[in-house]
Amino acid sequence: MTTATDTRTRTIKIKIKRCDGPGKPAYWQTFSVPVKRGEGANVISCLQYIAANPITDGGVATTPVAWKSGCLEEVCGACTMVINGKVRQSCSCLMDSACPNEGDTLTLEPMRKFPVIRDLFVDRTRLFESLKRVKAWVPIDNLWEQGAGPKETPDEQQTRYKLSECMSCGCCMDACPQFHQIADSAKWQTAFIGAAPISQVRYFNLHKTGATLKADRLSEMASQGGVSDCGNAQNCVKHCPKSIPLTESIAAVGRATTIHAIKQFFTGK
Amino acid sequence: MSESANTAQPAVPAPFLLRRLHSLAGIIPIGAFLCIHLTTNASIVWGRLGHGGVETFQHEVNFIHSTPFLLLIEVFGLWLPIGFHAVLGFYYAFTGSSNVAHYGYGANWRYTLQRLTGYFGFIFILYHVATLRWGWTWLPFASGFDAHTAASSTAQAIQGGADTSALGGFLIGALYLIGVLALIYHLANGLWTAAITWGLTISAGAQRRWGFVCSGAGLALAALGVMAFVGFVTLDLEAARQTESRLHSEIVNADTPQIAPAVAENNTTTNQSER
Ligand code: HEM
Ligand code: SF4
Ligand code: SF4
Ligand code: FES
Repeated sequence: MTTATDTRTRTIKIKIKRCDGPGKPAYWQTFSVPVKRGEGANVISCLQYIAANPITDGGVATTPVAWKSGCLEEVCGACTMVINGKVRQSCSCLMDSACPNEGDTLTLEPMRKFPVIRDLFVDRTRLFESLKRVKAWVPIDNLWEQGAGPKETPDEQQTRYKLSECMSCGCCMDACPQFHQIADSAKWQTAFIGAAPISQVRYFNLHKTGATLKADRLSEMASQGGVSDCGNAQNCVKHCPKSIPLTESIAAVGRATTIHAIKQFFTGK
Repeated sequence: MSESANTAQPAVPAPFLLRRLHSLAGIIPIGAFLCIHLTTNASIVWGRLGHGGVETFQHEVNFIHSTPFLLLIEVFGLWLPIGFHAVLGFYYAFTGSSNVAHYGYGANWRYTLQRLTGYFGFIFILYHVATLRWGWTWLPFASGFDAHTAASSTAQAIQGGADTSALGGFLIGALYLIGVLALIYHLANGLWTAAITWGLTISAGAQRRWGFVCSGAGLALAALGVMAFVGFVTLDLEAARQTESRLHSEIVNADTPQIAPAVAENNTTTNQSER
């Protein structure tokens, strides 16, 4: 691409909710960023421009804006933030569609349900603790040869493949009215766990070896903060970038937990 | 699976049990009762097409009041379940924070409305039961219910009670109409969510299809509710009272057989009503 004179440049405004550190007050700053049409500018490239030119719209020099990103192709989830009021990945938010005209404004905020470390950078430790809570793994640690794994039908494989795509980005939790920000990590164990780990319960219970831990996972689902804390607002499925059928997973785990509880009622375990 | 018995679990965790009982209580007995109750009340209208809504409604009320152990049924079948569902409902509703401002999707609105109709429905049920069942006529614009003058006393209550100003009629009328429709929405949407809660509708398609069924049921109930509302709001109190005193004297006369033949000739008009 060698265009000598450039008529495709426009200046857009990026309004950012900033915060200097945990517990510090939030404040807003707006930056003007030049972008070129057809070059795939995204939120990250705009943030890079701001990092190199940390001067606000009013001409005041400020600190560079902090953010986090990894893959830049919507598979790691690190760059998740609230864009124009809705949670999504910023790397896949392209400026040619989000801000097509001169002077268009894009609003960036950190995720709402995870504690801010700085600016757009949040701490999503709780998400990974939630995966531990439901034992989201296949237990194969042994000292001896395991032999071939269990057979899987193409049908099961298709269902599980879709569920496997979760990248733990946290969009489903950020958009959920039943999921709240909780600073005290001791309370994470009993707070509503959110859609992604519920879907992971379904995912690992569908795996023939993973199902060894099925009862443990379903007991966790029946405990405080488990699947029944979901209020069926179904925002999660609308905001999952991987189009994971989260509401189907919630219903499937609801059914499994019902059956599990009835079994427990009669057998005591 | 047998390997997981290494840690002792409580038979069924209480939070889960309470959630499921809350869901169940909303359907049986509360939801089932709401359906019966609205059907009974709507008889004030469709009765008019036959031999008189006032008579039909009185007949229904007499039937209910002839139920043995009525108070026990009410306490254990209605008031306690509603109290249980409402107390937990408030608690559960407070654990959520609606975000329709940011995420204004249909399902999210329904989630929010489920909670709002719960709050409003609770106030309505409290006023409704307190005035018409417990006789707390000291409440604003209230008048009581009398089983012998079932239709006229109900209609008077809904038309604003002892207060004859237009304001009372308007406020109580609005409370009843909005209250009834809110609870019908709450039941219909509750049936939709309950199917997910219990894991009956799993696929998105199943949830959509069940949604049509619940909407249909909700609309049918709303039709019954509006019928009953219009029937009572437009009821002529004086004419209804006359019908009721006639019905009452018929019953009294029927209880004293020696004078029955004497009045039989006068009763040719009401004999058709099979009572
Ligand atoms: C005529 C009265 C009522 C009926 C027929 C009724 C029925 C229902 C039904 C069927 C559900 C669905 C349960 C589920 O999703 O599994 C429900 C949920 C709910 N009800 Fe009621 N209800 C009534 C009164 C109330 C009252 C007075 C409140 C008080 C605020 C209330 C609050 C709630 C809440 C918050 C939910 C959602 C619970 C959740 O999603 O976890 N309800 N109701
Ligand atoms: S369906 Fe459940 S998990 Fe998903 S957004 Fe709604 S309340 Fe949250
Ligand atoms: S389920 Fe979807 S939205 Fe939720 S964490 Fe996984 S990828 Fe993100
Ligand atoms: S940087 Fe990995 S999803 Fe955006």
